[in-house]
Amino acid sequence: MAELVANCRGLTRIYQDDAVPVQALVDVDFDLAAGEFVSLAGPSGSGKSTLLNLIGGLDRPTSGDVCIDGVALSTLNEAGLSDLRLNKIGFVFQAYNLIPVLSARENVEFIMQLQGVSARKRRERAVAMLDSLGIGDLAERRPGELSGGQQQRVAVARAIVTHPVLLLADEPSANLDSKTTAELLELLTRINREHGVTILTATHDPVVMGYALRHVQLRDGRIVSDEKADSVAA
Amino acid sequence: MTLPFTLLVQLSWRNLWRHRRRNGMLLAAILVAVGTVVFANAVIRGYQGDMLNDAVNNLAGHVKVLAPGYRADPSIDKSFTIAPDWQPPLDPSLVLGWTSRVRVPAVIMSERETRGVQLVGVDPERETLISFLGEVDIIGGYLEGPADRRVLIGKALAEQLDTRLGRRIVMITQGSDGLNREAGFRIVGLYDGEGTGVEKVFVFTGRETLQALLDTTAITEISVRLIADEYGALAGRQLAASFSDLEVMGWRELQPQIAAMFAFADAAIFIWFTIMMIALGFGLINTLVTAVLERTRELGMLRALGMRPRAVVAQVVIESVLIIGVGLVLGLAVGVWLVSLLDEGIDLGRWAAGVEMFGMRTVLVPRLLVADLVLVAIMTMIFGLIASFYPALRAVRIKPLEAMRR
Ligand SMILES: Nc1ncnc2c1ncn2[C@@H]1O[C@H](COP(=O)(O)OP(=O)(O)OP(=O)(O)O)[C@@H](O)[C@H]1O
Ligand SMILES: [Mg+2]
Repeated sequence: MAELVANCRGLTRIYQDDAVPVQALVDVDFDLAAGEFVSLAGPSGSGKSTLLNLIGGLDRPTSGDVCIDGVALSTLNEAGLSDLRLNKIGFVFQAYNLIPVLSARENVEFIMQLQGVSARKRRERAVAMLDSLGIGDLAERRPGELSGGQQQRVAVARAIVTHPVLLLADEPSANLDSKTTAELLELLTRINREHGVTILTATHDPVVMGYALRHVQLRDGRIVSDEKADSVAA
Repeated sequence: MTLPFTLLVQLSWRNLWRHRRRNGMLLAAILVAVGTVVFANAVIRGYQGDMLNDAVNNLAGHVKVLAPGYRADPSIDKSFTIAPDWQPPLDPSLVLGWTSRVRVPAVIMSERETRGVQLVGVDPERETLISFLGEVDIIGGYLEGPADRRVLIGKALAEQLDTRLGRRIVMITQGSDGLNREAGFRIVGLYDGEGTGVEKVFVFTGRETLQALLDTTAITEISVRLIADEYGALAGRQLAASFSDLEVMGWRELQPQIAAMFAFADAAIFIWFTIMMIALGFGLINTLVTAVLERTRELGMLRALGMRPRAVVAQVVIESVLIIGVGLVLGLAVGVWLVSLLDEGIDLGRWAAGVEMFGMRTVLVPRLLVADLVLVAIMTMIFGLIASFYPALRAVRIKPLEAMRR
C-alpha cells in the first residue's frame, strides 16, 4: 500500500462564532495516499473548504487530528504550521492567488524565495516551470495584466514548482469558463502523472470530477461516499 | 529560518510605489519636517555659538581660577601668585590658550569726563589667543607686551570721555596697601567691540605695568580657553586639584544668565523636534494602517502560503523604514542646502536694538553640527520604528482564512 500523505482521524470542526454553533465537519476519517488525484464534492456548506483548510494547516480542528507526511499538525505552533505550509503543501485558491506587485515569474519564485533557494536556481526553475505550463511568454507580466485562467496557471506553477507532497485546490475553476477549466484540469492531470504530485481539489463542477481518480462526497460535514473513478476523462 | 530580506524589501518598495500620491504626500511631510528641523537647529546652534563665544570671550575663558571672595569684592587683596614658569596642569592638546591677569575696578578720567571701569593688566600676546582682543578691530595700535605702559580702551568709552587716540588719560585705583594710586596713560588704540557692551567696561594695559602700580607681584585671575566646551568639566576638576585654596569656575557659573539661555536654546531644539516627530508619527501610523488594511487579503494570502508572522511584521516595518529613510535623506539634504544658502549669515540689523538685548550679534550665522544631523537621523528612524509598531500589530493579527474569505 502506498504511503499516506494525509491522514485524518475523527476530524470535527465546530464554528462557535454565531449564536448557534455550526458543525462544519463531524468525525471525519480520511486518508490520502501518495500520487492520488482526489475530488471533494458536495453541496454548498457541506464542509469541503473546511476539510481542505484543516488538511492544509490553515485552520485547527475542534477535535481529531491531521497528520501530513507523518507529522501531527496538533504538535505544531503557528510558525511550525507556516513552515509546513511553506515546505509541504501547494495551494491554489479560488481567486486572488497572486501578489499584485510581483510579475508572474516572481510570483512563481515567491515560495522558493521564502525557502531560501538561491536567486539563480529560483529563476531557472520558475522559467522552466512557466515554459512547461505553456505560459513562458507571460513571465514578466503582473497579475493585473493576466486573464483569470492565466492567473490560475501561474498559481499552479507556483504551487508545484517546489515539489510539495500535496497540492490543495479549493474550487480552482470557479471563476473560469469551460474551455479554460478543461485546460487547467489537463494541467493538473499532467502534473499528477508526470510529477507524481498528490492532488486534492474541492469542486462543484462535474467536469473537474471527471478528471479525478477518486471521488469523495460530503454532506452536512460527513463523508457519504468515497469511490475510485471507473474511467478517466480524456 | 532567517527573514527573506530581499523579498520583503522588494515587496515593500513596490507597494510604496503603488500609492504614489499618498506616499508622496507623506514623504513631503517628512521632508519638510526634517528640513525645517535641521534648519532651525542650525540657526539656534549659530545663536548658541555666538552666546558661548561672547561668554567665553568676555575675559571668562572656559575655566577661570580666582581667589576666594574676588567675585564679591574684586580688589587686589583678593589675589594669588603663581610661579613665573607656571603651566596649566592640563593636557596641552586640549588647551587653546591661557593667560593670567590683574583685574581691578578703577576710575578713568579724561580732561572732561570721569567713568568707572575695570582696569585689566594683560599679557597682550597671550590675550589674542583667548579673548575678544584677538578678534576685534582696533584703531591705532595694540599693546606690545606685559610691560607696555599705554592703555587700550573701547571706542564707545572714548566717545563718552570725549577723548581721542594718542591722548592721555588718568586712572585711579586702590593699591595692595589700600591706598589710592593714580597714574597717567597714553591711549595706544581704540577697540571696536561691535556694540557688545564690553567697550565701556574694559580698559587694558600691560600686566607688569599694573602690578607695579599696585605694588604687587600677584594676579587676580587665570583664564583658560579650551579647544571645545565639552572639556570644561574635566579641565575644571584638574585645575581645582592643583589650586585647593582657590576658586575654579566654568563660564556657566561665571555667567549664569548666558548659561540659562544656552540651556533654553537646547530645550527649544528638542521640543521643536519632538512636536514635529509626533505630528509626523500620526501621519505615518495612519498611512501604514491604511496600507495594511487595504492589503489584508494579500497579507492573508502570504501567510497562507507559509510566510511567517514575523516576516509580515518585518514587511510593515521595512515599509516604514523605507519611506522614513528616503524622506530623511531628502529632508537632511534640503536642510543642509537651506543652511548653505545662508552661510553669509542672517542680517538682524533691522532689529539690532532688540536682538542685542539677547546677546546676539547683528549677523547670525547658522551652524550645522554633524552630531546634530546624526541625532536627527537616529531619532527620526527611531520614531519611524515606533510608529510602525501598531500597524505591524494589525498586520500580524490577520488570520489567513478570514482575510481571504472577504
Ligand atoms: N469562519 C466561519 N465561521 C462560521 N461558520 C463557518 C465559517 N466557515 C464556514 N462556516 C460554515 O461551515 C459550514 C461548512 O462551510 P464550508 O466553507 O466548509 O463549505 P463548502 O462545502 O466549502 O461550501 P461551498 O461549496 O459553498 O464553498 C457552512 O455551514 C459554513 O456556513
Ligand atoms: Mg468552499
